[in-house]
Amino acid sequence: MARNWPVVLLCAALLVGLALPLATGASPPGFYVEVLLGGLMTGVLYSLVAMGFALIFKASGVFNFAQGAMVLFAALAVARLAERMPLWAAILLGIVVMIALAFVIERVVLRPLVNQEGIALFMATLGVTFFLDGFGQTVWGSDIYKIDLGIAKEPVMVLQGLFQGGILINKEDVAAALVAVALVAVLALFFQKTATGRALRAVADDHQAAQSIGIPLNRMWVIVWSVAGIVALVAGVIWGSRLGVQFSVSLVALKALPVVILGGLTSVTGAIVGGLIIGVGEKMAEVFLGPVLVKTFDLAGGGIENWFAYVLALLFLLVRPQGLFGEKHIDRV
Amino acid sequence: MADSLAGLDTFPKLLAHHAKARGALPALREKSLGIWQTWSWKRFADEARAFACGLAAAGFKRGDHLAIVGDNRPRLYAAMCAAQCLGGIPVPMYQDAAAAEMAFPIQNAGVEFALAEDQEQVDKLLEILPQCPALKRIYYDDPRGMRHYKQPQLAPYDTLLEQGRAALARDPALLETEIAKGSGSDTAAMFFTSGTTGNPKGVVLTHHALIDRAAAAAELEGLSDRDIVIAYLPPAWIGQNIFSYAQSFVTGYCICCPESAETVMTDMREIGPTYYFAPPRVLEALLTQVSIRMEDAGAIKRGLYRYFMALAQRVGGAILDGRPVGAADRLLYRLGDLLVYGPLRNVLGMSRVRVAYTAGEAIGPDLFKFYRSIGINLKQLYGSTETSVFVCIQPNGQVRADTVGPAVKGVELKFTPQRELLIRSPGLFKEYYKNPQATLEAKDPEGWFHTGDAGYLDQEGHLKIIDRVKDVGTLADGTLFAPKYLENKLKFFPYVKEAVMFGHGRDRVCAFVNIDMEAVGSWAEKRNLPYSGYTDLASRDEVFELVRECVEKVNADLAAEPELAGSQISRFLILHKELDADDGELTRTRKVRRGAIGDKYRELVEALHDGRQVVHVETQVRYEDGRTGLTSADLKLRDAKIFSPAGAKKAA
Amino acid sequence: MSQRGNPIGEVILSVEGVSLAFGGVRALTDVSFEVREHEVRAIIGPNGAGKSSMLNVINGVYHPQQGTIRFLGQTYHDMDPHETALAGIARTFQNLALFKGMSVLENILTGRNLRMRANLLLQALRAGPALREEIEHRERVEHIIDFLEIQPWRKTPVGRLPYGLQKRVDLARALAMEPRVLLLDEPMAGMNLEEKQDMCRFILDVNDHFGTTIVLIEHDMGVVMDISDRVVVLDYGKKIGDGTPHEVRASQAVIDAYLGVSH
Repeated sequence: MARNWPVVLLCAALLVGLALPLATGASPPGFYVEVLLGGLMTGVLYSLVAMGFALIFKASGVFNFAQGAMVLFAALAVARLAERMPLWAAILLGIVVMIALAFVIERVVLRPLVNQEGIALFMATLGVTFFLDGFGQTVWGSDIYKIDLGIAKEPVMVLQGLFQGGILINKEDVAAALVAVALVAVLALFFQKTATGRALRAVADDHQAAQSIGIPLNRMWVIVWSVAGIVALVAGVIWGSRLGVQFSVSLVALKALPVVILGGLTSVTGAIVGGLIIGVGEKMAEVFLGPVLVKTFDLAGGGIENWFAYVLALLFLLVRPQGLFGEKHIDRV
Repeated sequence: MADSLAGLDTFPKLLAHHAKARGALPALREKSLGIWQTWSWKRFADEARAFACGLAAAGFKRGDHLAIVGDNRPRLYAAMCAAQCLGGIPVPMYQDAAAAEMAFPIQNAGVEFALAEDQEQVDKLLEILPQCPALKRIYYDDPRGMRHYKQPQLAPYDTLLEQGRAALARDPALLETEIAKGSGSDTAAMFFTSGTTGNPKGVVLTHHALIDRAAAAAELEGLSDRDIVIAYLPPAWIGQNIFSYAQSFVTGYCICCPESAETVMTDMREIGPTYYFAPPRVLEALLTQVSIRMEDAGAIKRGLYRYFMALAQRVGGAILDGRPVGAADRLLYRLGDLLVYGPLRNVLGMSRVRVAYTAGEAIGPDLFKFYRSIGINLKQLYGSTETSVFVCIQPNGQVRADTVGPAVKGVELKFTPQRELLIRSPGLFKEYYKNPQATLEAKDPEGWFHTGDAGYLDQEGHLKIIDRVKDVGTLADGTLFAPKYLENKLKFFPYVKEAVMFGHGRDRVCAFVNIDMEAVGSWAEKRNLPYSGYTDLASRDEVFELVRECVEKVNADLAAEPELAGSQISRFLILHKELDADDGELTRTRKVRRGAIGDKYRELVEALHDGRQVVHVETQVRYEDGRTGLTSADLKLRDAKIFSPAGAKKAA
Repeated sequence: MSQRGNPIGEVILSVEGVSLAFGGVRALTDVSFEVREHEVRAIIGPNGAGKSSMLNVINGVYHPQQGTIRFLGQTYHDMDPHETALAGIARTFQNLALFKGMSVLENILTGRNLRMRANLLLQALRAGPALREEIEHRERVEHIIDFLEIQPWRKTPVGRLPYGLQKRVDLARALAMEPRVLLLDEPMAGMNLEEKQDMCRFILDVNDHFGTTIVLIEHDMGVVMDISDRVVVLDYGKKIGDGTPHEVRASQAVIDAYLGVSH
């Protein structure tokens, strides 16, 4: 119990920080809620990418640096394919592409390196990252592409009765959030309720035992990389529809890194919660902390969004190395 | 109970009635391979009839005994009724009895036919076969592990059932005449009671006795075919059988058989019984489980639990009894019900319990109040095998922790000058089987059953049992001395594991105490009191103080009871070793053997009575591997405060 | 052992001249023995005798440098554990290898995995054949739960069970595969007397009821002698004895090897 105090304190501090703008009257409630929702929205995307990380790490022990590149690759594929066919067909085909990619990665990268040191596998995924970034451009082109989900981009005003001036909400964001929630639900069902999901969890728990009861590791890796690919695709499509598909999309992976550290590498729940915490945290910091810094220290402000996530992750790393939901690593003798 | 039971004077007739009146309703449920399987009343009747025909074909005749050895299983209950269909007598036997213990009942009843639940029971029956030459057929329900058994006596239940079915198909009226021949005065079943000394006695109960009592209690509680009961105690004990057989046959309610002894809690949660029976030790074990889980819970949960349990202690019982309670408390209790009591009842599997009974031994007031305070209508009843259970029941709204309620309709009570309780009731047993001597001693010519229990009726006409008559003694000055009553009162404190009272023929009451290692151990740990083991802990002054407080609380209680105020505990000691059945100090059922202990520790008893402060003891102990050794210790003896009857209020 | 449901049959598994080395360390040297269908075959030996290596070779975890394993008439060299599992060899683990994130029921259900036929999509939709299949498998598993008497703990996370029970769940998971041969890696290790007795009973029951051929390694001599039909004795990676418990007990080489170490 005593060990948890630093974590509790840190969480409490975050909550206080979260409540401060509202409590001190620094922000009108309507605006505050808008910022909060904006943060959550970004958080959802972080969560999706981080989930891909966590899934692969849990099932195969590989820290997949290429998750960000997969997001970009998937988004590019969908964007370009959609120019030639209806969007739903492009998405379906994109899924096929991601599954094919999983097959290739398993065959070319994972299988030859099985039983090698973790660092070797990590380096391999680094290679995959650069390959995907480059290869994606070779195949799909390097311009900025658009994905049009067919939902109006104009924000709508809601809750005018509750907040003065109401709250501006982007319909597309709402749709994206719903899609993300649905995806998480489907994945949860898949893992909890199907025999394959059970096999995947078995592999994640104990490779050796899983093999000895006849679960083929290779096939499980293909499945989990495919799932991670599909998650990347959903993230890519959502991201792409908001900001356009371009190289910077792959940088979202860099944000997912602090998320998994915060949430715990092996936990899907951790990825989701971590994503939301970081999404909201950095948006709040940018909007409310920034001006304070400017005023008090006469700094230029700005850029908080770029480092806040890492500082937060670092703090959590200090007080709880395994992450919020991660398992404490115990070496078996 | 909408249907009239007139003319249905035997269990087979009742079963036929239910098969007609509510054929599709569930009669029995059993969890098998993780799924609750239901037997409707029709199925139950069909099974019983087919098995009866099989038995008849195998040579089972009117008046024959069918031994039934096993747990609560639908087929075992079907076999009970099957035997009764033929005018035979089922003899349920304890499934956890050792083989040797089974020999006597089987010889005594001249059992020729037996039904065993599984291989384990078959093995025991086969073992005693040489002593029981009359036993000629042994059927078994569960065939697992039975493949290699080649004994000619053995046959599977299924085979007999098939034979019965075939016979029934040839002649559907086969059984009707047999069933019609039965009458209420026929013997319905025989239950063996484990005597503390000598051989067990076969208590012969008629259909009339069991049905009459089952109906009287059902009427009192308003039981109907919508009630649900979980059968988890040995069916050989009348305390289970009356609830899982007789009353079900009278009301048509459904019996549920748990998957195994270990799953009872889970199964109860799934089934949600409405009518429940548990001896105090089961209730105690449940409470312990809850307490342990609460200890492990988070701080908020624990805080909530403590707060609301304190509230429940204060007002829960009153709310259940419908007595007036302040509006604020009532509201808080409602909140507590939402947050604590409701979930707690759910965990216990008692969310739907309307009526719960406890009986068999005295129940601690705190334990009793705990269940009532969280809204479970737990009540006490008094009865025994010889009385078809129901003698006294606490009616709703008149529930006390220390009495067992007024007599149920049809029962007459009176007392001998020695305070022995005598009972006359339609539920009384016919006789002890082949034991006219014992029958004569227990039942006088006017039909009064001598219970052997000492007690009295309080001002409201509620029966209060204090002790066994043979144990009730008097102090030198003639004051009533009820050792077991005092021992129980002291044992209700969690710190006291066993207590033994001495006082008969002496001028004051003195006590031996065994502390409860677990409770006192954790108490000591919380106070940073180091100890090396039982003997060490039991010799601590702090522990003596702890026990003294318990003793003095008992004394304060006693002071309030006019009959017993004179027998307060004046001195006590904490024994240096735990009383043990292996050393002959407890019976196998963990009851203290006061006489044996008094002899063994004569020196200590004398020291308590003559006022010494310290005494040195050496005792022989038997280790688990059979060796014996000596332990020795200096024991401290302590005085406890005695309250005058008038001063009681102040001290409490 | 006089009564058994399935008389001992033909050779089902044979180990022929197996040698295994890790770097320069020889774990097994030219070990040969055979296992007959329906028998309980024990491999015993002092610590470090190569028992576990032997089991891992049969199971496909290690691939021996020399020698072959013949199972059901087929010779195999480089089979992976999941392939030997498909072929009909199941195993339990000395150091529990249960899936600790799962309940008892789920753990045992994973043992049915290799017998699941429905494809992913059908599973996900819990549609028609997949649902029927799941129910069928669940029923199988329930029979095993009943057989090994673990009903009270179906929904309990395995990590919360006492050690002896976890071992039983491990056995249940292996049984769920309906293997022809069951490899037990020190099934009584770390158990108290009562748990050991239970485990012995279960092993014999499994052998009798399902007819499963059992190969077990164990260093508790007493237990092994009671329940085995035949015993292989290893010492320093070499076979030094092979025969009925009675024969093995009388063998001078075995006595030397065993009395050399305190027991």
